[in-house]
Amino acid sequence: MSEKIFGYAGQILRIDLSKKKILKESLRKDFIKKYIGCTGYAAAILWYELKPKIDPLSPENKIIFSTGPLTGTLCPCSGSYEICFKSPLTNAFGESRSGGIFGPKMKYAGFDHIIIEGKSDKPVYIWINNGEVEIKDAQHLYGKTVHETTEIILEEIKEPEASIACIGPAGEKLVRFAAVMNDRDRAAGRCGGGAIMGSKNLKAIAINGEKDIEIANPEKFYEFVTEAEKALLKKTALRRFGTINAITVLNAMGALPTKYGYTGFFERAEDVSSERLLSKYLIKRRACFACPIGCGRYSEVKHGIWATPPHEGPEFETADMLGPWIYLSNLEAIIKANYLCNNYGLDTISAGNVIAFAIECYEKGWIKEDLVKGIKLEWNNPETMIELIKLIAKRERIGDLLAEGVMRAAEKIGYGAPELALHTKGLEMPAHDPRGETKIMAIKYAVEYRGGCHVHSGFPGLYDRSPESLNDYGLKQFGLPWPPKGKFIEEGKGIAYRFFAIFGQIPEIMGMCQFASMGSEGNMITAKDYANIYSSLTGIEMNEYDLMKIGERVYNLKRCFNVREGFNRKDDKLPKRMYEPIATGPVKGEYVKNLDLMLNEFYEAMGWDIETGIPTFKKLKELGLEDVAEELKKI
Amino acid sequence: MWKNIIIHPKKCTGCHLCELYCSFHHFKINNPSRSRIHVVRSEPYIDSPVLCIQCGLCINSCPVGAIIRNKKNGAINVLIDKCIGCAQCVFVCPYGAATIDPVTKKALICDLCDGEPECVKNCPEKVLEYVDSTKAVYYKNLIISKLLKKESVPLEPYPK
Ligand code: SF4
Ligand code: SF4
Ligand code: SF4
Repeated sequence: MSEKIFGYAGQILRIDLSKKKILKESLRKDFIKKYIGCTGYAAAILWYELKPKIDPLSPENKIIFSTGPLTGTLCPCSGSYEICFKSPLTNAFGESRSGGIFGPKMKYAGFDHIIIEGKSDKPVYIWINNGEVEIKDAQHLYGKTVHETTEIILEEIKEPEASIACIGPAGEKLVRFAAVMNDRDRAAGRCGGGAIMGSKNLKAIAINGEKDIEIANPEKFYEFVTEAEKALLKKTALRRFGTINAITVLNAMGALPTKYGYTGFFERAEDVSSERLLSKYLIKRRACFACPIGCGRYSEVKHGIWATPPHEGPEFETADMLGPWIYLSNLEAIIKANYLCNNYGLDTISAGNVIAFAIECYEKGWIKEDLVKGIKLEWNNPETMIELIKLIAKRERIGDLLAEGVMRAAEKIGYGAPELALHTKGLEMPAHDPRGETKIMAIKYAVEYRGGCHVHSGFPGLYDRSPESLNDYGLKQFGLPWPPKGKFIEEGKGIAYRFFAIFGQIPEIMGMCQFASMGSEGNMITAKDYANIYSSLTGIEMNEYDLMKIGERVYNLKRCFNVREGFNRKDDKLPKRMYEPIATGPVKGEYVKNLDLMLNEFYEAMGWDIETGIPTFKKLKELGLEDVAEELKKI
Repeated sequence: MWKNIIIHPKKCTGCHLCELYCSFHHFKINNPSRSRIHVVRSEPYIDSPVLCIQCGLCINSCPVGAIIRNKKNGAINVLIDKCIGCAQCVFVCPYGAATIDPVTKKALICDLCDGEPECVKNCPEKVLEYVDSTKAVYYKNLIISKLLKKESVPLEPYPK
């Protein structure tokens, strides 16, 4: 590298598995300026390098492991990496974040991004040690669970401090919602990155490093990050109770997704609450690298038929998707199911979604008897849930159908299944119900580039969930409509969501956990804080407005990736159930009334064409994406 | 009176912030492998920092006299210009607290940040405490006694 770049590692590792070629490239300064890093940088790589309309599971797809400038630094909550690829679930832009220590290790090993291309002719894993790269045989690892794989590799490379990201049997079998798991129980779960690794015959990446990440202005940097740590320490509920606290909170609101979205109220919610976990199964809290919050749970079921070894989880999404969603309240079985999903390498959100979907389809008589012989496909049956998880991971019998994800499974089942399936763009909907929680989630689900997702880009649920706990996310200064008009009011939600879409990109391109970026000034890291931290770390001066502009650019680029794949307004929609009233509970009768109104608002606010939902030439030019706009013109 | 750092391992979440603050304080960089405190995560159950107890065993192990005790605060100080990176201190330290810096190739031993330990100040879980040396005894005894703790025997046997 010619000139030093502070904060970044400065190099990209490119590995072509077909040709077994290993290449080191310098980080592009122009890309840093335009996209900062992590998913921003990776989106640019995918835009310029992927041919449109390829099959996501073909060797032509790439999977990029990406860190941001803040990854691996003192900045609190910076222990993230993301994987970016074309998703086998949605055929759209796919990305997924994970914590643990894998991301920081990438930086210490000397790489900001690792691009994996092509396809190996036999199973391999990659061992990266302080910049040295080796492609190793993984024949003996095939069929092994995530924990087994991790143990064996650590033993083989003789570096106990290395971090391992790998796939389990689900990824090998190309389950479309297979996760990439790292540090045993941390998941880059959504969008099916595990299947991409599987399709490339790549079982794992092991990494270790001891290099410095240098700081341009240490004094200032120290001042800003200690301030940030202080702010995040105020998240006392999240620290003490973890994300699973949301079970109780949402249920009280009548917005706890239950029985495949039939209702938002679960009578037995107490049985799966954070308190219950704490009282019997929680060993302690476990944090990701550099995280003062420590929302991670470390738990075990000591005795009985659901016994598990100690492992991380369950967090809220898992607890609801493998619990109330299946109308189930056996916390021990949920912990076991979480343990199994982690080990098979399955996204717990999508897994819970397809399982509940299968049960409802069967109840309606749409699934043929011979497909489910010996399995009691019914609500509130823990044995069934565990059995289905195993069948999905191995792609056996009905598991083979469900492994395709809810959208494709629904097509195959036929009858009313496609209308029933809860997904947008093919990504299974998670455990937040826009009908009962806040209508801003409705517009979010509809427009998100990665499909039915509550957290990329940004989780807006705390904005107006309840009048007592309004949160402005530090966005008032940019013009966020404030105060919000009320959670069930749809008018204005499209305008409001624009701010979350743009701001939500900032933690992503920095390599941060989204939890640091929720709340209000004083208990979160705001755009201004990010600008200060980034500037003092890298020496590249930026203010909060510059950062918001970059956030907007990246959001538009990801949207354009999808447009090139054929997506437009027709795909920004919600499943039918969202237009049907919640059946019981405190907000019984609530439903999404006018998505079109919110869509129009959002497109207009974004400067997109209202008819098509495609970013206008003018907008893209303003964002410095003329070449992207030119290419879109050709379609 | 001199002071020592004591550990309450039960509270540790394994966040590595202490390592980051330690390496930052001494080198103005981000790099936990250049820290003088080491966070261990070992399955199952274990997350805990391990650090120098300032016992002084390493002082005499050093063949060139590069390790001395700071009379002001009782901390071990490595005279970096003298250190030849022979790793005798690493070998002799019973706690695995002394290491060789992967970048400078010289000894890394906790110097108590000259009496204001950064790791103590910044641990979000208050795992670390800087206390008078006499008070440290109680906590150390407590940790040792916990090692002797008996597991409760389950009423039902484990399933196969
Ligand atoms: S480094 Fe080890 S031997 Fe030296 S004073 Fe510290 S604990 Fe004792
Ligand atoms: S007291 Fe200072 S030198 Fe010693 S481990 Fe803590 S931060 Fe490092
Ligand atoms: S900072 Fe505290 S909680 Fe975090 S690893 Fe160190 S001792 Fe443990």
